Order: sequence, then structure tokens, then C-alpha cells
Amino acid sequence: MKIKILILIIIYFISFFNFSYATNSEKVDKISKNLRCLICQGQSVYDSQSDFALSMKILIQNKIDEGKNDEQIYSFLKNKYGEWIVYDPEITKNTFLLWVLPLILFVFGAILIIRKVSIK
Amino acid sequence: MLNQIGNYSLYIALISSILIIFQSPILLNKKSINVSGRIFSLISIQSLMVIISFITLIIAFINSDFSNETVYNNSHTSKPLFYKISGTWGNHEGSLLLWLLVLTIFLFIFTITSKNLSNKYRILTLFFQEIIILGFLLFILFTSNPFMNLFPIPNEGTGLNPILQDPALAIHPPILYLGYVGTSIIFSSSLAALMSGSVNKTWAKHIKNWVLISWIFLSIGILLGSIWAYYELGWGGFWFWDPVENVSLMPWFCLTALFHTILILEKREIFHSWAVILSITTFSLSMSGTFLVRSGILNSIHTFANDPSRGVFILCFLFMLITLSIFIYFFYQNKIKNNYIQTYIVSRETAVLVNNLFMMFFLSVVLIGTVYPIFLEVLNNDKISVGPPFYHKLIVPFMIPFLIFMAIGPNLNWIKDKISKINLQQFLFFILSIIVSFIFLKKIGVTYLFSLPLFIASFFLFFITIKDFSVKKTNLSQKISHFGFSLFVLSVLVNGVLAKEYSSNMRVGDERKFLNKTIKFESLKINENKNYQSLEANFKITDKNNSINLKPEIRVYNQPQTITSEADIESTLYSDNFLVFNILKNDGFYNVRYQIKPFMIWIWISVILISFGGILSIVKKNG
Repeated sequence: MKIKILILIIIYFISFFNFSYATNSEKVDKISKNLRCLICQGQSVYDSQSDFALSMKILIQNKIDEGKNDEQIYSFLKNKYGEWIVYDPEITKNTFLLWVLPLILFVFGAILIIRKVSIK
Repeated sequence: MLNQIGNYSLYIALISSILIIFQSPILLNKKSINVSGRIFSLISIQSLMVIISFITLIIAFINSDFSNETVYNNSHTSKPLFYKISGTWGNHEGSLLLWLLVLTIFLFIFTITSKNLSNKYRILTLFFQEIIILGFLLFILFTSNPFMNLFPIPNEGTGLNPILQDPALAIHPPILYLGYVGTSIIFSSSLAALMSGSVNKTWAKHIKNWVLISWIFLSIGILLGSIWAYYELGWGGFWFWDPVENVSLMPWFCLTALFHTILILEKREIFHSWAVILSITTFSLSMSGTFLVRSGILNSIHTFANDPSRGVFILCFLFMLITLSIFIYFFYQNKIKNNYIQTYIVSRETAVLVNNLFMMFFLSVVLIGTVYPIFLEVLNNDKISVGPPFYHKLIVPFMIPFLIFMAIGPNLNWIKDKISKINLQQFLFFILSIIVSFIFLKKIGVTYLFSLPLFIASFFLFFITIKDFSVKKTNLSQKISHFGFSLFVLSVLVNGVLAKEYSSNMRVGDERKFLNKTIKFESLKINENKNYQSLEANFKITDKNNSINLKPEIRVYNQPQTITSEADIESTLYSDNFLVFNILKNDGFYNVRYQIKPFMIWIWISVILISFGGILSIVKKNG
């Protein structure tokens, strides 16, 4: 009986281990897709097989294992390598126009059309 | 010898260009009935000369004539003949010569197909087109001459970048250029129409063909590039929002908007100014595209041939053309007839305006996303990257209303329609789309914020475009293109949510389980080829019912020394099996990436359908 319970516990932990491993590697994929491989020409860390990208993936894996969440990892990388490394620029003073300009243009165009057509 | 022929032909073309530019104003004042024989023969001579110089360059490439610097830099005797030829435009100098070739040939075609139009309009178009040609000739002759001599003559060339040695990429640049350069005719002719006060129905009818031709070539060109990226870059994606890809997408948005506007202009004689503005913008975008790619200021996977100093020339030239066109626009704007016809809110006209609004929005997202980092770096010295997440966040939410408008718009009448036209039938289709999307997403377990509305909108468009085939009101080519587009959106979405990927490090003999499949690394062998060695792997993918073998390769090219991975793809109507492998440092291990990409082939088919609609429209009109 005890042996059975022991085996069950071991299986449980193994499955748990596998499970958590799987989600972690998915997390690495998700994060590394958003990172630029700094030594490549326009490739993401995820897509690249360069030394930089490989060590980057290990680094992300370690950070996840340490229990860091996505945002902590991104901000760590940004501090280390600069904004250049992330493909998804945050809205800051510098990037405000980048995000807002297209929207302004859309609203402007929509107003032009509404003024042009008659609502009857 | 060949170099001299090529060089002198270009100089003769240059002289013809200058002669035409100086003769056109004189001819304008004369009341001659048609473009005079002299100008026509000058244009013919010019085209002929450019054709000769282009053929000379091709011959130099075929013969591996290393006394030519361009050939020396981009070719190698061991290269297969096909890639020797395609190497002609696989480099900076050659690709510009190709631009020029298309420019002159298009002008020639324009001259012989516009005989029934007013003389003033034709001469002005020739004039503007010749300015562009002159600019390119000067650029080629003085900054990037493909006929530079090399002495002493080297025995062997340095070779062509192996990832360019590919059938899709061999024909991708010429096709794309036909699209890009087609917009130059639209540009010249819109300025000419503006100056001669003939922005009207007749002009719209005439220029519509050119818009369509450019649009078709651009669509197919983008498609080819995309297919190439899919199997050659080895990541299994087909669109990376890479700057160079974006640059080809921008004129496409603009051309699509222009085409719809031109249709309205032809039917209803409204939106004259807007059509002219779009024509100017389209060409400016094509030119800036060339500038951005050629100057090398973009950090991109596609920057194969670039040189910053040359960029300055194109930038100045571009700036001059844009300034010129803005001046002409404001100076002659009053010549545009203003029909103060009321546009009603529920009408086909409004639908086209809405289409234009969305096209301009997508264009602005792509344009700003592409150039913003460049400006920020210059102004602030801050480097940022703008990648796929940015484009998805801004474009996806707007796709939803866009798709719904696209479903409803083409069913509206011209001039004025009733709101009740958005009728029961469409409402039923909408309910159906909600149910289908809901069941579909529930089944695969996707719960992203936008996925449900996005799927509803695209299923709605899909059903409506199918239904529209039974309606007689609109023409067949439109139905095919619109259906193609709905199929495209749907395939991209389904592909996005259903794609599965597995990546692992494996040795020969290893076996891995993935979903319900087994991936077995069976064997590895070395092949010797003419200009590369390849390491060919054999993977066996087995699931319950059947098994397939995939044979990806790693190629080691000798000239220049480069390693490329060639994915092996098994395409079926339902899904693609994509497998690629890479060398790792640890002995005997390879990084293996296996992907299942559902409905991949439908993405290609749908783009072909979209373009086919355009081809049909041209053929039907002229047939």
C-alpha cells in the first residue's frame, strides 16, 4: 500500500514537473518571439540559432525558473540591452506619437468623410 | 567590349531623354494633332538602347565576363545558368538597370496605347516620365554604373548570395518592379491630366488599366516574396513585418485605395482631387521604397545590396519630384472640375470613401511603424524596434469594422440607397457567422480578446462574398477579388490559431512524440552539387493513419561560403507539414523544428484569386 502511494506521489511529481516544464518552454517561446536578436539581421531571438539567441533563451529560462514574471524579464532585458531589443515598444514620451499618430489620422479622415456626406 | 556597348547605349538613352524634355514644351505650343514622329522615334530609340544595355549585362553574366565589376562581385562560374541570369538583377546596379528598363518600356507602351487621347495630355505625361527616366539614368551612370571595367581581369567571381539562388526569388524582383514602376505612369499621367485640365471620366478610364496592371504585379510580387520567405528563411512564417516587406505593402494599400476611387471617378465624376493626390502618393511611396531598401538604413533581413552614399541621391531626387508635384498640384488645382454632387451616407460612393479611410489608416500604421524608429534615432539617438506586436495591436482592432464594411459596401447602390438595404438576409448571415465562429473557437479553445469578433467579421465577409456570386449587380472580377480577400483573411486567422510547433535537439536515430505524432530522425547523407554540398536529413513523421517523410537540407555553398537551411514542406489542401533543421555546436545534435501549418496553401491561393480578379477585369474590358 505504502509503495503504491509512494509511486503515485512520484508519478504526480513527475507529471507536475513535465507540466511545468512544458508551460515554461512555451513562455520562453512567447517572450523570445518579442525580442530582437541583436547580432542578426532582423530576426527574432526565437527564430535565430545564433549563439546570442541560444544564450538568450537559456537566460530567459533561468529567469522564469527564478520565478520572475514576463514584465520583470522584459524590464531586466531592457535595462541590460536597451529598448532596441523589444519588438513591442512601450508607450513612453518617445513612442507616444508612434502609437497615437495613426489613430489621429483615422479620426481626422473619418471627420472629413462625415462632413462630406449628407445624412439624409 | 560588352561593357562599352552597354555604357554607350545608356549615354544615347540619356541624350534622347534630354532631347525629349527640351522638345516637349515646344511641341505643346504647336497645335499638332498627335505626338510628333520625332518624339516617338526618340522614345523608341531610348527604349531600344536601354534594352540593349540590359541584354549586354545579361550576356556578361551568362559568359561570366569578369572584366565587368558587377559580374565579378555577383557571379561565379560554378553557378547554374538560371542563377547567372537572375544574378543580373540580384544586385544594386543590375536592379536599378531593371527599374530603368521597365520605366522606358512602360513609357513606350503608354505612347502607343494612348493615341486617342489629347495631345497635350500625352506630351505632358511623356515630359514627366522622361524627368523620372533622366533621374534614374543619371543615378545609374554616375553612382552605380553596372558597366565598370575591371583590370586586370580576375579569373573567378565572388559569387551570389546563396539565399538569393532560388526560383521564386529569381523572378520576384522583376515582377515587383513592374508593379512599382507602373505607378510612375500613374504619377506622370495624373500630373499631366491636372495641368491639361483633363482629370475626368476619360482619364479615369484610361488610367484604370495602368492602376490595375501595377496593382496585379505588385500583389504577385509581394506573394512571391512571401512564399520565398516561408520556405527559405526557415522560420515557417510568411510575413514578418520586416521594413522591406512593409515598403512593398505601402504602395499596395495606396493602389487599392486609388483603384476604388478611380472607379467612382469614372462612374460619377467625383473625387477628382483625391484621385490625383493618391496617384502622387502611390508613386512617392514606390520611390521611397526603393530609397529605403537601396540606402541600407533599414535593419532588415532583406538588405542584400546597399550603399548609404547612393541613398542620398535617391533621397534628393525623390524630394525634388515630390516638391514638383506639390507645386503643380496647388498651381493647377483650380483647373479641376468641381462637381458639387451631393454624396449620401448610404451609397456606394460612401462605401468607397470608407474603404479609402481604412486603406489610409493601414498605410499610416505601416508607414509610421517603418520610419518612426529611423527618425527617433536621428533626432534623439534612441534606438527602438517596431515589430509584429505593434502592427497587430493597431491593425487587428480596425480589421473588424473594415471586414463588415467590406461585406456590406459592394451591395449598396450608387448615389443613394436605403438603410433598410442592410436587410434580413445579411442579418441572417451575420447570426450564422456568430454561431460558426463561436463553435469553432470553443472547439479549439482559443480565448483571446479580439478573436471572437475578428472571426465573426471574417466569416461574415466570407459568407457574403460567396452569396454575392449569385447576385448580378456587380461584375465577376470584383466578386473574385473580394472573395479572394475574404478567403485570405480567414486562412490567415485559422492558420494563426491552429498552427502547432515543436522544437527539439535531436541526433540521428532519435524519436520524439509531439501531439499524436512521432517524429523520427532516420538518416543523414551528404550530397555533392555543382556549387554547394548538402547535408540531407530524412525524418519520418508518423501518426495513427499514415506517415510522411520530410527531407530538409543544410547547404554549404562554396562561393561565397555560406550555410543555408532548406526547409522541406509537404503541402496538402488541409495543412502544411514544415520541417527544418540546423547545425548545433554539440557534436551530432541538430536543432529540429517541426511545424503544422493549417490552410497554408489557401493563403497563397487566395492572393492568386485576388490578383486574378484584376487580370480578368483587364482582359474582359479589352476583349
